[in-house]
Amino acid sequence: MIVAIDQNICTGCRECAEVCPAYAIVGEQGKPQTIDTDRCVMCGQCVQKCKSYVSVLTHGKDAYERVKKERNIPDSVQEPLFAAHAVCHLNEVKAALADKNRFTIVQCAPAVRVAIAEEFGAELGTLTPGKLSAALHALGFDRVYDTNFPADVTIMEEGTELVKRVTEGGVLPMFTSCCPAWVKFLEDNYPELKDHLSSAKSPQQIGGAIFKTYGAQLEGREGKDIYSVSVMPCTCKEFESERPEMKDSGFRDVDAAITTRDLAWLIKDMGIDWEALDEQEFDQPLGLYTGAGTIFGVTGGVMEAAIRTGYELVTGQPIPDLEVTAVRGTEGFRTSVIKVGDLDLKVGVVTGLKNVVPVLEAVKNGTLDLHFIEVMTCPEGCVSGGGQPKLLMDTDREEAYAARRAATFAHDRELAYRKSHENPAIKKIYEEFLEEPNSHIAHHLLHTTYCNK
Amino acid sequence: MKKEIGSFVVGDSTKCTGCKACELACFTVHNRKSNHLGKTVGTVTVPVTPRLFLTKFEQGCMPIQCKHCEDAPCLNACTKGAISRIDHQVIVDAEKCIGCKDCMQACPFGAIALLPYARDGRLVGQAMSSEPKVFASKCDLCEGIEGGPACVRVCPHQALRLVDPEAEREEKNIRAAEALLLTKNWR
Repeated sequence: MIVAIDQNICTGCRECAEVCPAYAIVGEQGKPQTIDTDRCVMCGQCVQKCKSYVSVLTHGKDAYERVKKERNIPDSVQEPLFAAHAVCHLNEVKAALADKNRFTIVQCAPAVRVAIAEEFGAELGTLTPGKLSAALHALGFDRVYDTNFPADVTIMEEGTELVKRVTEGGVLPMFTSCCPAWVKFLEDNYPELKDHLSSAKSPQQIGGAIFKTYGAQLEGREGKDIYSVSVMPCTCKEFESERPEMKDSGFRDVDAAITTRDLAWLIKDMGIDWEALDEQEFDQPLGLYTGAGTIFGVTGGVMEAAIRTGYELVTGQPIPDLEVTAVRGTEGFRTSVIKVGDLDLKVGVVTGLKNVVPVLEAVKNGTLDLHFIEVMTCPEGCVSGGGQPKLLMDTDREEAYAARRAATFAHDRELAYRKSHENPAIKKIYEEFLEEPNSHIAHHLLHTTYCNK
Repeated sequence: MKKEIGSFVVGDSTKCTGCKACELACFTVHNRKSNHLGKTVGTVTVPVTPRLFLTKFEQGCMPIQCKHCEDAPCLNACTKGAISRIDHQVIVDAEKCIGCKDCMQACPFGAIALLPYARDGRLVGQAMSSEPKVFASKCDLCEGIEGGPACVRVCPHQALRLVDPEAEREEKNIRAAEALLLTKNWR
């Protein structure tokens, strides 16, 4: 159980059922709710929405400490706890950090750096990659890498796959596969469309597979010695990391996926003073990333990153306008046509999983003429993920999402490299290890298959 | 026109789902400065102390909060001078409150709860014991807080509203007069 509702705390308001994209929350109005785990995609939007907190008045003086213990939340945590919650794995991560025989590698997703500072009182959407890296170093991780690097790998793999499908007549439209809640939703509800999913793994899993192979080689170690942690804006990433097929490195590729909120707890628990941290770079080479990698955090970002590279793959020329504003926006489903040489590349972007159902129906009926569709479960992509800092007041939601989006695009603009294929560390890993996109070894490590339920 | 009687917030049990967004917002806006709350849950280091109370009853649920009574029993009962009337509102000075419960006893609506008192992000201890100091937590209509009552602003179903009783009475008078106009042929 990754996302759960505490029966003793839930008031039965069903506000969570309103935001659940999978209709997985069941119960009578006014009575404690339960989650239908077969339907649940673990996106954590219910966790974000729930305001029914453990209260001295309603639940008694000892309830807070008891609930904290039940959920394995660090003792040092003092913030309110709510009925809808996500599982906490910090004990395992703390044990691995304390074990001198484990070589610990951490990666963090693009959306974490535009939100985690909020948990330390900063303005909504404050951009802090340097402090994030410094905090992870201070926690004692042996290597502080970044999910933006494997996001760049994703673009190489998925972009190449798309070009092949378009030019050689593969299954179209191709769907993105970065969002594990979306992948589960498709597997559960539209298994007949699974060949439309890109076979490329998500950046988290590509990172995990690379760290225990190439990453281990860089350290002169073996994959078995490495404990790999990911920090994600997402509650479903833990589910993804637990999928039985996600062990192509020969080991479980990602050992623990924690959320942005979990990391803030861990930083406080270890007594690290966030304000006093001096900015630090991510470690090299697997922490070197491009603007294309960082915009994965917002809706339309994977599409834009793919177009920045795909254009050059197809035409051999750099894209005239790097910022593909046509695919930006926050509408639930938007389409555009991108001129790629002689090809009119027809793309769609879905954000908010409820909006994908008509799209899937149209694909099934053959009435949707698109090449490539990005799908993200959360309202505005990962910046609004279920594992992100939770707002005390929903009236701040619009501002929070807008500020996190703006910070993501600002970060893209300030980076030295803004196209995945121009990342020197990407060039290096393909030269030294992966050979070329969609090579045999890339297929083995970085691609996956999907299951019929 | 100068307001002669005080306003209050009232809930509507036909709209309320019991989500407690009002309680959390109430706590948030009252602790921004005194307990350094930011906009996210992670910035909270003290227990949630709302000033209105979601109440479940057989037919439904709704938040209950202070009516800001004119002849306020809580104010009359307080022997420490911790409750006063400021600009028509009945306001508790938490620093002066000793937690004697007289106001709780006096309030006919249960609109006051004794809750842990915190300053600067930590609980304040009692003078002679390690137990936390408590204070009479009740609605102050978000006195001095920009935007007015936070509970009204955050309710996802508009189940709370700020009542100006005199203005509403006048409005009802007008509606009554308009209705009577329709009956003008009746003698």
